[in-house]
Amino acid sequence: MSVLSAKLRLRRRGWFALWAAPLPVWFALFFLGPMLLLIAMSFWSVQNYRLTPDFSLSAWSYVLSLDFLWSSFWRSYGLSLLSAVLVSLLAFPASYAMAFLISPARRLTFLGLALAPFFTSYLVRIYSLQVFLGEGGVLPQMFHSIGLSGASLLNSYTALFLGHATLTLPVVLVLQTLALGNVDRTEMSAAVNLGARPLQVLRHIILPAARPGLSLGVLFAFLLSYAEFVSATYLGGGVFQTLPILLTDLIRGGQQWPRAAVVSLLMMAVLLLTSLVTVAWAYRQKGN
Amino acid sequence: MNRHLKHALPAWVWFTGLMLVFVILYAPILSALVFSFSADRFPSLDITRFSTKWYAQVFADARVLEALKNSLTIALSTALVATTLGFAAAYADFRFRFFGQRMVLALALLPPTVPIVVLSLAMLAFFSRIGLSGTVGSIIVAHVVVATPFAMAICRLRLEQMPPEYETAAQNLGATPGQALRLIVLPHAAPAIGAAALITFAVSLDEYAIAWFVGGLEQTVPVTVLNTLQGQVDPTIHVIGTLAFAATLSLVFAAQLLLLRSTKSHKNKEVSP
Amino acid sequence: MTQPLLELHNLNKSYGTFEAVKDIDLSVDAGEFLAIMGPSGCGKTTTLRMMAGLEDPTRGDIRLEGQQINDLPVWQRETPLVWQNLALFPYMTVRENVEFGLRMKKVPAPERQRRCAEWLERLGIAGFADRNVAKLSGGQRQRVALARSLVLQPKVLLLDEPLSALDAHMSIRMQGELKRLQRELGITFVYVTHSHSEAFSLADRVVIMNTGRIEQLGTPQDIFLRPRSRFVAQFVGGISLFSGMLKTTKEGNIGIDSADGLLQIADPASAQGGTRCDLAVRADRINVTTQPGWGTNEVPCVLMSEEFAGAVVNLHLETAAGTGIVAQLQQRDLERLSARAGQQVYASWHPEDGVLLGAPALKAVA
Repeated sequence: MSVLSAKLRLRRRGWFALWAAPLPVWFALFFLGPMLLLIAMSFWSVQNYRLTPDFSLSAWSYVLSLDFLWSSFWRSYGLSLLSAVLVSLLAFPASYAMAFLISPARRLTFLGLALAPFFTSYLVRIYSLQVFLGEGGVLPQMFHSIGLSGASLLNSYTALFLGHATLTLPVVLVLQTLALGNVDRTEMSAAVNLGARPLQVLRHIILPAARPGLSLGVLFAFLLSYAEFVSATYLGGGVFQTLPILLTDLIRGGQQWPRAAVVSLLMMAVLLLTSLVTVAWAYRQKGN
Repeated sequence: MNRHLKHALPAWVWFTGLMLVFVILYAPILSALVFSFSADRFPSLDITRFSTKWYAQVFADARVLEALKNSLTIALSTALVATTLGFAAAYADFRFRFFGQRMVLALALLPPTVPIVVLSLAMLAFFSRIGLSGTVGSIIVAHVVVATPFAMAICRLRLEQMPPEYETAAQNLGATPGQALRLIVLPHAAPAIGAAALITFAVSLDEYAIAWFVGGLEQTVPVTVLNTLQGQVDPTIHVIGTLAFAATLSLVFAAQLLLLRSTKSHKNKEVSP
Repeated sequence: MTQPLLELHNLNKSYGTFEAVKDIDLSVDAGEFLAIMGPSGCGKTTTLRMMAGLEDPTRGDIRLEGQQINDLPVWQRETPLVWQNLALFPYMTVRENVEFGLRMKKVPAPERQRRCAEWLERLGIAGFADRNVAKLSGGQRQRVALARSLVLQPKVLLLDEPLSALDAHMSIRMQGELKRLQRELGITFVYVTHSHSEAFSLADRVVIMNTGRIEQLGTPQDIFLRPRSRFVAQFVGGISLFSGMLKTTKEGNIGIDSADGLLQIADPASAQGGTRCDLAVRADRINVTTQPGWGTNEVPCVLMSEEFAGAVVNLHLETAAGTGIVAQLQQRDLERLSARAGQQVYASWHPEDGVLLGAPALKAVA
């Protein structure tokens, strides 16, 4: 029990609340509120084209019984996972260069340059890619001039992957570079001192030590790709019916709110599960 | 890296990887810049003539100007509110120990992990139920949710660099909590607050999904771009893109510069003789 | 009796289930230099922070000149603190740092400047007045921290390990200055430290704390010569401890029956026969010889190691029963002894040099 007077305690609480309260209040109203509404809505029903609060499982049973939902679900998952792994592999040499071959002072500049595109007009970058890859675009023209087929590269997995890379590369680069940069140089020296050759140092010291950061890179690339619908629509050309596309279609196609809510919640559940598994694996320690 | 630590592959391999990545990141940006000055309607490698006619066309387009006005209003308000909320939460987390602190922190960092489509959907549902959808205000409210985590993270990291004793020392010398905050904490956090404002402004300026779902007839610049994407080849998109890149890149670089310089001066202070 | 300046009554502080400070009763007189000492985590800094109002006591009272100040917010306390990391404000010059407290108290500018200048002068940092505090040496920063607090003319100055950031040489110089300053100003210093040399050479009285409690309170001499518990003896260091039953021999001598034999003591005034006691012998009172037959209390042991500490040498010995003994010798005595590690030697001391722990009635053996 505190011996403080009530007045003093009240004054301190007020000062504390002034700083601590605004964000939780705003997020409770405008973030948790909408998310909880989404959960509630998945149990509502549509009667005479009107959305009615209800406790009905019809949207759930309808969505879960759709075959094309499951196929687009697995396709989304597989494509995003593939993209995430490929982007990570693509980024690794660059991250390695930034972490080990560039002086720490310049590293920050490179990291800044790598991260900046994340905040700049993703849509326009996708449009540029469309122009690059499309019929008569820069890349097909170049291929044509060296005697290859000059056909459009759009509506292919390559195009989709480039779209995903455009979105996720900055984040993956930063996470990987920070992970590699934090590898203890003394451990590496110790390994060399004990006779490890460069490739063995990479395999037995650098990669295990950087594992959490590298796995987080894959995870974030996956999360972003999985939730993405612009590349899938305009580069993949709708060839790949992914969950986010399904979702936007459901909403634009009419009053299918409960079904859209169910699909959203399924997406969230999958993301949450994947994140938990990845994080658990990334931070797993050897031995107890 | 020390001399005795050899790399598994020769240096040029790693550097080629680095170059490739930067080409992938920046080629789309540069191409927008180049094509925005091409007189040709269809973008191709052999540009015939330099022209600024697409710029003239964009600036004469009432629809684009209206969208620009909306975008700026939204981004400015978002930056203001998100930075305030973000700093307040960062300061509370730095200064106080309280029940549920980790929960609040988790909540504050949660929005970026929710798929933007899902978030947009939830926002649309929410705002239509309270009769606010289709307004600029609803976009601002939603953008604040998306942008605040960035502001909070930036401010929190900066506060971390300040020994908590500075503020208590000021109080110990007679400063009220308000004075200590104003005279000690704010000067220290100022670069981060500036950076947070710039980043949140950029995030809002660029956000298309929520603005598209929630905005209704109120279009922002990214939403007009999204609508153009669905239609014909339109060279004006290169102009809008170039301007957007110029705006957001300078915001982000300015923010990075602010943070970098403040970190450096912080380090200099630590290694006093 | 005059009123003590600062009093702690039954002061407690817990964090959840952890009790950082337990039932502290302490009164500090005006003009006194009090050191609070103990291992890290013993509650000494928490106690100091409660005096400054930086922590709220869970229970108990803090009084300044008889007034209860528990409810007084930090900024109204007038108990300036010199911080372990000094906490000088990095965005301000030396002058701005020193003037800060006066500015907060709305002291008019002319007086503020006069007092600031006076203290800068007094502490020998007037030449750096407009320099950024980041550009000062450790000793100069220390002086700024002192000036910043003393300019407020407090009745009590709290110091939290203020010299720990300095190198050994600088620390000793600052110790001298602190002591001189405290004498000249005549104000109370409450000084938290984990360093024996600082506490013993500076303080009028020393508080030794352990696990949130006061183990012993006394003058440095008191504590050094008559440690009240095993903890204090071990913490002060340079003391060998033996334990056993108190016993009277056939010849009428009194001693403790330890694993190393019967060890006689001179004046067991208050001790009861048959109780279990700890006996402490200071390292400088122990003789070491290569042959037996030199003293009343003589224990054969093996020389384990020598540790050079300037002009003196600490010899670490171990008895057959495994008791560790530390003996302090002058260099030339060691040369005369010419013993090597692993060799059999004899440790001996006079009965009057043995102190029974927890027996305050024993007379001083100084």
